[in-house]
Amino acid sequence: KMFSDTAFVRDESQEDITTEHSVSHSQITRLYSRFTSLDKGENGTLSREDFQRIPELAINPLGDRIINAFFPEGEDQVNFRGFMRTLAHFRPIEDNEKSKDQNGPEPLNSRSNKLHFAFRLYDLDKDDKISRDELLQVLRMMVGVNISDEQLGSIADRTIQEADQDGDSAISFAEFVKVLEKVDVEQKMSIRFLH
Amino acid sequence: MRRDLPPLLYDSQAPARARGRLCRAGAAPGAARGERSAAGSRRRPGPARHGALDYPHVQIPFEITLWILLASLAKIGFHLYHKLPSIVPESCLLILVGLLLGGIIFGAEEKSPPVMNSDVFFLYLLPPIVLDAGYFMPTRLFFENFGTIFWYAVVGTLWNAIGIGISLYGICQISAFGLTDITLLQNLLFGSLISAVDPVAVLAVFENIHVNEQLYILVFGESLLNDAITVVLYNLFKSFCQMRTIKVIDIFAGIANFFIVGIGGVLIGILLGFVAAFTTRFTHKIRVIEPLFVFLYSYLSYITAEMFHLSGIMAITSCAMTMNKYVEENVSQKSYTTIKYFMKMLSSVSETLIFIFMGVSTVGKNHEWNWAFVSFTLLFCLIWRALGVFVLTQIINVFRTIPLTFKDQFIIAYGGLRGAICFSLVFLLPPAVFPRKKLFITAVIVVIFFTVFIQGITIRPLVEFLDVKRSNKKQPAVSEEIYNRFFDHVKTGIEDVCGHWGHNFWRDKFKKFDNKYLRRLLIRENQPKSSIVSLYKKLEIKHAIEMAESGMISKVPSSVSLSDYHEGKIKPLSPTEMENMREILTKNLYQIRHRTMSYNRHSLAADASEKQAKEILIRRRHSLRESLRKTNSLSRERPAAANTKRFLSLPKNTKLPEKLRVRNKTSSRVGDSSDSDLDAATTVLNLRPRAGKILREQRLRQQRPLPEFRVEWKNEVDGSQDGRGEQQDPSTLPQPSIGFRQPLLTRPRFGTLSREDLTADHGSARPMPPPRLVRQASQGDRQRNKPENQPY
Repeated sequence: KMFSDTAFVRDESQEDITTEHSVSHSQITRLYSRFTSLDKGENGTLSREDFQRIPELAINPLGDRIINAFFPEGEDQVNFRGFMRTLAHFRPIEDNEKSKDQNGPEPLNSRSNKLHFAFRLYDLDKDDKISRDELLQVLRMMVGVNISDEQLGSIADRTIQEADQDGDSAISFAEFVKVLEKVDVEQKMSIRFLH
Repeated sequence: MRRDLPPLLYDSQAPARARGRLCRAGAAPGAARGERSAAGSRRRPGPARHGALDYPHVQIPFEITLWILLASLAKIGFHLYHKLPSIVPESCLLILVGLLLGGIIFGAEEKSPPVMNSDVFFLYLLPPIVLDAGYFMPTRLFFENFGTIFWYAVVGTLWNAIGIGISLYGICQISAFGLTDITLLQNLLFGSLISAVDPVAVLAVFENIHVNEQLYILVFGESLLNDAITVVLYNLFKSFCQMRTIKVIDIFAGIANFFIVGIGGVLIGILLGFVAAFTTRFTHKIRVIEPLFVFLYSYLSYITAEMFHLSGIMAITSCAMTMNKYVEENVSQKSYTTIKYFMKMLSSVSETLIFIFMGVSTVGKNHEWNWAFVSFTLLFCLIWRALGVFVLTQIINVFRTIPLTFKDQFIIAYGGLRGAICFSLVFLLPPAVFPRKKLFITAVIVVIFFTVFIQGITIRPLVEFLDVKRSNKKQPAVSEEIYNRFFDHVKTGIEDVCGHWGHNFWRDKFKKFDNKYLRRLLIRENQPKSSIVSLYKKLEIKHAIEMAESGMISKVPSSVSLSDYHEGKIKPLSPTEMENMREILTKNLYQIRHRTMSYNRHSLAADASEKQAKEILIRRRHSLRESLRKTNSLSRERPAAANTKRFLSLPKNTKLPEKLRVRNKTSSRVGDSSDSDLDAATTVLNLRPRAGKILREQRLRQQRPLPEFRVEWKNEVDGSQDGRGEQQDPSTLPQPSIGFRQPLLTRPRFGTLSREDLTADHGSARPMPPPRLVRQASQGDRQRNKPENQPY
């Protein structure tokens, strides 16, 4: 069975994946076997349900959003490429990559793309702004039961205030990036074994 | 007249007279004084009179109690100032208390204070500590990293032992130091006993730092195996020392012995672990003594192994790891909690006693100071440890998929604190063979003190220093914490998606074997497990009941937050308000779920995260129901906003749940679920709708006091502040009963709800049963599987 798995992966233009995301062969194989183990329906794609079956994700406050990030707009199945594509955001940034020329398309795990990924987790309606409501939703998910709505509201207000520069009471992507410029996003959004 | 000395402590010298003098202090509250009033007594002849002191009668238990009481009081005092435990490891404090105590005893009696007996240590004090470590070891992670752990433990210890031994021997050869009478073998023995590292003490410091779990398991596993190897080496060299001539064959015999001892111990442990698991299969009528079995069997494995001169430590560790898996499922929730707590208690007491003894024994006349020996010992310990870690890591990194970074190596190397084992071993040296025993004792104590105090206190700041690359802590924003936590949650989530390192052939084999034979044999059927799981079941049932009654208690999500929004009137906050906010956040933001529960000998971290997990689950449940309600009342033309609600908890169109698994095990204990136990969560969360469900519900309702449920539920509901901001229109009450009249169709398998189901119902708009039609289709699939066990 192992052979057929790897064969399948090769069919799936593994070369593309390797070059596209600069993930090593062994990594792909491993992630592919993870993919297949999640895919209970064995039809080569994952549905939301497959993700929800992961127990640890069920108790992650942002579990739903994370799951959702895997699925492109309007779709409910994700194939291995899509799976890898999302995971590629979390590849650590190698030092030697930083000096690569910027001619090619920006790799998915660049700082900007990582931030974009995070931004999309907040911004559900995809209007490129994090509105107060969207922020509140996320806050509410991350916070325990002891915070009242008023308190949470004022925290959200404060958060927007700290980030907002153009006064529209929402956080645009540029403002988001600015607020996080001191945060070591590269490290926080990197998973070590994805390189 | 010297009394019989209690076996617990034996005095080097203590004239009865001196003790008698102190006896007058009598039953004073101070433990020290109580200690001193040990042996001496004035027995008056004649019938016992009330008020006369009959100390010898109760001496042994009295002393033991007082010692333990003292230790625990010291701990209380220690934790009074809340910042202290994070700066100073507890072991430091305990040693200080011991020193104080020893000083008092010494000062008062002018004799050396009592010293620990070897039997007491190895038979009574050590097993609880090892049992604790073994029981809480995350097994899957342990085995995944077994190669590295084994490598560090075995090769690392050997490296250290031989390195230190040989270099010390080199130093001893320098006649200027006056150490030439120490032979090579003695040095090797000394090296082996001082290489016993106890880094677990360091782990306590790292609770709040997101140290990557690889490190945890390495340090943890290493310390366990390390102890066993040290003891084996020690015995080996000791027997060599006592032999007149050593042939090459002896060395090989020694090496072979090493393996036999280790593997034999493991086998005994596993065997007894299975027996324990089997026993607990039948204990459901006598729940109260279930914990006893766990402790008895593990202790039995230890002493059985010791009886055969095998490694008791390995035995008890493997017994604990084996038992862990199966026993947990067999015993009741309360027994499980009891086991955990009692184990922690025992190990805590043991460790405390050991450290206090260490402090006590330091004071006194057991020492011989030699500058060269002591300082070089210390130096070599540090050097060899650092070298060893570095070299070994370079080699093992080639084989690892996740290489260890410099920071990891530093933590491992610097975290090499010495502890109880080397201390005890040095006291066990037979003085006949080791004329310079006191020198060794001194050296060991110096090393221990140095590592525990200096390294223990400075390691945390050093690590933080290493961690921080760019630190601008000028104006910490309120939102910073939010963003940081946000990223951490996302990262954890993605890590969970990625799962663990692929599928190991052997592990899968073992799992199959496990499922087929072992579990059938060792586990009792029908056991709801962790509280989260049972909570979830309760919620499901509750939901079902509500649905069935279609008299839903709908909690209107508070839209206070929304109505409070004043456009553009965000007032700048004063610093105190900001402080307040930050504090609120810090306290209330959910913790990241650590995959491995950070091991702490002194507390159980599970409770907090379980509570958090429950909250999250309840909330998702709520949102599920709300979305359910929403989607039923929404028409398809709703703007994008509707989508947001939906896909937060419900996929738009999902296929029907394909197969339902037979629920055979449930442990979705937080932090310990394996990815191939995915079944657990799903099956638990899914109660299949069946025709007879309602009947069962009724039956259940009679069995369980429902009002209690409701109250519970209400509290949870109230508590959980169902105000998810996304629900813009407060969901108006009960709605189109359409969606809900169908009993139980919407048995949402956590998060999946068939769109077809909904629309079908919606379309049909009949109070009853097109559900049945829809269900047929899915029923068809499900019939294939065995009926699920009812959760209760």
